[in-house]
Amino acid sequence: MPAIDPEKCTGCRTCQRFCTVEAIVYEDKKCRIDPDLCTECYVCLRMKVCPEGAIHAQDLEGFYKEFQHVLSDPVETHGVTGVTGRGTEEVKTNDVTGRYRKGDVGLSIDMGRPGMGVYLRDAQKVAMAVARAGFELAPAQDTPLAALMTDLKTGKLVEDCLDYRLLSVIIEGKCKEDKLKDVLKALQAVEHEIDTVFSLGLISRVDADGRCSALDIVEAMGIPRPYRGKVNVGLGYPIAEK
Amino acid sequence: MTHSLHRSGDIESQKKDFVWFMYQTKGVNDKDIKPKALEFIAAAEAVGSENWGDVKTGPKIFYSVEEIKDRITDKSRLRGVFTRKEQVVEFLKRIKEKKTGMSVVITGVLSEVIPACKEAGVTPHSVNYSLGVWGKKDRLPDQTTLSITTMCGHHMIPPKFVKYILRRVEKNKMTPEQGALELAKYCYCGIFNPVRCAGIIRETVGEKSP
Repeated sequence: MPAIDPEKCTGCRTCQRFCTVEAIVYEDKKCRIDPDLCTECYVCLRMKVCPEGAIHAQDLEGFYKEFQHVLSDPVETHGVTGVTGRGTEEVKTNDVTGRYRKGDVGLSIDMGRPGMGVYLRDAQKVAMAVARAGFELAPAQDTPLAALMTDLKTGKLVEDCLDYRLLSVIIEGKCKEDKLKDVLKALQAVEHEIDTVFSLGLISRVDADGRCSALDIVEAMGIPRPYRGKVNVGLGYPIAEK
Repeated sequence: MTHSLHRSGDIESQKKDFVWFMYQTKGVNDKDIKPKALEFIAAAEAVGSENWGDVKTGPKIFYSVEEIKDRITDKSRLRGVFTRKEQVVEFLKRIKEKKTGMSVVITGVLSEVIPACKEAGVTPHSVNYSLGVWGKKDRLPDQTTLSITTMCGHHMIPPKFVKYILRRVEKNKMTPEQGALELAKYCYCGIFNPVRCAGIIRETVGEKSP
């Protein structure tokens, strides 16, 4: 993890301007990185933000610190999914993989973003809430967070990871369209029980006009109809679905 | 990852902001990707992609095009931005013609992206729709800051740094364009839109001027 050498630190506080999650504290005329708040995103290190060169890297101790870093720093590639950072495949290769088929509705619940960060205990609350509502959580080969789940059917995470903070992490999975209302209701309830935010994406096969019937369910629940989208334009050669 | 999906800010401003991606699929078409990646870069350059990059090297505005090309490996992820629908149309036409078999994604305001697909002769396969931000929204930064920081969905652009740049522009220490480039350096993927950012800075600083 990054650390600030107190001998070199002049207390100018320049580094605080560059911390993505305000994890650098100023005490006794020196800056230091609070390990409980730091997400290991490495912006301070990579961008060499300290004019005195006082910020240096220390070894990441243990699996969870490494997990924290790989998911918070988009330059790193996750060992299992092969995707950089906290990434999952979601809609981006769906034309090739057919992961989300007609009748499936996917959700990408991007915990901690924009910019607030997330303790894994809050990710667990959300994962368990949607799992209880019938949401099928994606397995570890598709999404990094699943590697910490003791049971994909419940969304429960291993106890030891809960106090680690990440810049963000995605809870991904799918359900059939007739379950969508229950899953969204679960999200409407659990959003009041967490100490952070999440950005929600709804994934679906679409017609030539970019429309899908799942959006009618969304609208009927009073959730504003989306105006932004990430459009897979169907140029990949399919392997799973013709 | 959904790092281009949840951009915020004025919708008219978002309509001039498109993100393009080339994606390889693990175990399917993720070997020897460089020739295909170079086709994407050629198309992006030909239509004037305002910023693009490879997350493994960095953005074009920070590294030379040749350096990014040289460092392409099978772990690379190529992506960038456009500011006009016409660029999207031409880019898609060129990529379709090359028949790379790679997945192509365009993120933006759907009322702009879908017509662009039709004009280019490509058919949307699936969409990840943004249903917005949920939870403790009262703890988020102000809307101007968010409209800039969310252009790097990985959140590599610190909110305090945005404030600092706005103050520098306000004091005439730098132009909005220079400020936007300083911020863009922090987005390693190259999907930060410096043109849109300069517009937001100009509007914000202008609004504050007497």
